[in-house]
Amino acid sequence: FKDDFSTSPHLFIPMSPYDLELPIQASSQLSQSKELHTDFSSVDLSFLPDVTQDNKEQNLSEDGQETQKELDGSLSSKEDSGVFMDESSLSHPGAAQPSPETPGVCPPLTPMTPITPTTSASESSGIVPQLQNIVSTVNLACKLDLKNIALHARNAEYNPKRFAAVIMRIREPRTTALIFSSGKMVCTGAKSEEQSRLAARKYARVVQKLGFPAKFLDFKIQNMVGSCDVRFPIRLESLVLTHQQFSSYEPELFPGLVYRMVKPRIVLLIFVSGKVVLTGAKDRSEIYEAFENIYPILRGFKKPS
Amino acid sequence: MAARGRCPECGSGSLVEDAHYAQQQLVCAACGCVLSEGLLTTTYTDEEHLREVAYSQSTGQKEQLSRCLQRGIRRVQDLCKVLKLPAAFEETAVSYFQRALELPAFHLVSLEKKELLGGCCVLVTCRQRRWPLTMGTVCSLLYAKQELFASVFLSLQRELGLSVPALSLADLVTTHLSSFRLVQPNANIPAPFLEDKEQLVARTMAIVELASDTWLVTGRHPVPVVTAAAFLAWQSLRPGPRLSCPLARFCRLAGVELPPPAQLRLKELLEILLAMASQLSWLRGFCLDKKTVVKHIGDLLQHRLFLLKRAFSQQDTGLGMGSVSQECQGSGLPSSPAVPQQQGCPWAGQQQQRGTLRPLLPPCLLHPRKRLRAAAPSAASAALTGDEPISDSEIEQYLRSPEEIRAFRRAKAWS
Repeated sequence: FKDDFSTSPHLFIPMSPYDLELPIQASSQLSQSKELHTDFSSVDLSFLPDVTQDNKEQNLSEDGQETQKELDGSLSSKEDSGVFMDESSLSHPGAAQPSPETPGVCPPLTPMTPITPTTSASESSGIVPQLQNIVSTVNLACKLDLKNIALHARNAEYNPKRFAAVIMRIREPRTTALIFSSGKMVCTGAKSEEQSRLAARKYARVVQKLGFPAKFLDFKIQNMVGSCDVRFPIRLESLVLTHQQFSSYEPELFPGLVYRMVKPRIVLLIFVSGKVVLTGAKDRSEIYEAFENIYPILRGFKKPS
Repeated sequence: MAARGRCPECGSGSLVEDAHYAQQQLVCAACGCVLSEGLLTTTYTDEEHLREVAYSQSTGQKEQLSRCLQRGIRRVQDLCKVLKLPAAFEETAVSYFQRALELPAFHLVSLEKKELLGGCCVLVTCRQRRWPLTMGTVCSLLYAKQELFASVFLSLQRELGLSVPALSLADLVTTHLSSFRLVQPNANIPAPFLEDKEQLVARTMAIVELASDTWLVTGRHPVPVVTAAAFLAWQSLRPGPRLSCPLARFCRLAGVELPPPAQLRLKELLEILLAMASQLSWLRGFCLDKKTVVKHIGDLLQHRLFLLKRAFSQQDTGLGMGSVSQECQGSGLPSSPAVPQQQGCPWAGQQQQRGTLRPLLPPCLLHPRKRLRAAAPSAASAALTGDEPISDSEIEQYLRSPEEIRAFRRAKAWS
């Protein structure tokens, strides 16, 4: 990925992304924004041959250029933010290894505060992914007698032949917990980190009331799942062509496209309806960042017909 | 082997191992008496002193392929022969298989998975060389479960780091239709149902392209779309005797199985065609329904670019997206002269002209299934810190009372 932008001499001459911006911005000011966008939305990528190693890099840089041009087109009046978005969209395709000649190009959208997504670029999506599920683990630090727990608790089920843990549920927050005889517990179903922690504490209290010396050690969020809707349909077959390294789209197996983003390390499920599911995050900010990264890419595939 | 013992004739101890031609002999150096030669069998005492070389330490293991690998390679080769693939494909598939089997991820999996691994290697090879082989075909040849095949395929892709291009619909159409019995002269099929392969393929491709332009293909299994498109193409090439033939009978005649989604795809295609037909000036007078529109598919396909623009409103469900108006009429496709005029039309103007035109969207957006959307987290829960005090009464509601415990014990639910 190092040579992403320097191995396609017939596409553009400059060697570093910083130089890229100048000739493209000049061209965007000369031509109408609509026409520029038009040019690229009618590009039919199905003629591309089988993607070999060389083609892959070429495609990546083609896409980087297209995304850039589209964004430039729509932001023709705002040069600064255009540059901003260029950086983020440039850095994204080559995100696996930032090239040595562009030390300053890190995605500037990493938020500092964990709660609100940054809206630093004026072209931010305005869509906030909703958290749907949080999976966390905690160590109760005492050996548990699962049969005893299942006998004395109303909300527990235990079927040792099927699974070696007690499945316990509470109503508020609506969550499910797997409690193992070693004292480890997994809590799923909460919609926020605080809810997950509160729920885990409630389960620990139930176990305490059942007579075990349960503690509450090493509470850790293991996975967070979020979802949102970009409100326009997406051409998945084109997306898989331009982002082949990251995408896997097999309509025979699953209707959605599986996009494995490298930075942050998140897996996105992208569907033709425009709904996006983001998973694999340890922190809420990773979900927001991943969505802000994918949104400009998806907008590039928004076509009128 | 160290020479031992004494010569029985002269009693000297100098025994030498020598070879007479290729035959090993134990000879006394003093008198030349041959003590033993070319032992074909060894005595038990001799065998005890033989140093064995374990198979794993010998070079034989590296030279020979393990039986599992041999069997797998043979299976891959058989699969290639059954599918009548070119010879180059076989070599590639076998090399992928060998590479994969060496990896720890595949070396220790169940035999069932190893069988599927061969099929996956063949599939990957075909995809890379643009040979349209569907997973359904490979699964049926291997008698495999679809989910297991999917997991082996995805892990193969990941482990070997292969880039597997998508299945090309155009190639799939050609291959799928050549397996249809209707394109070959056949005594079992009535004459009006036979069709020329070239014409059928060309028209089916056009319908499949139409389907993919109108969002009927993205995210859906490709084979039912091709089947439905082939059916419409076949009907439209000679509507007279064929209109009364339903899809199920068509598939039976063609000798292919009818995939269940094909009926739905057919319905969706007909809806699109009807919408397009309403915009064709010489058809406006007719009152077309799903049967009769088939007769005009030829015309509709010929003018499909123009009709698609006119029949469907061009906005992309711009719900709350202000930038939508910039993008309408964005694609500068070359078509009839009416189009450039429309490009200048503002979006609001279009709405007035067309009235209630449906937007060009995937069916999942046009007919959303009613789903209970969980309300956005309320302010109260947003203020949650996770460290709130937990009341005893709340916890006690989850504990069984002593009577319940007695009842359960009696029921011996835990035996």
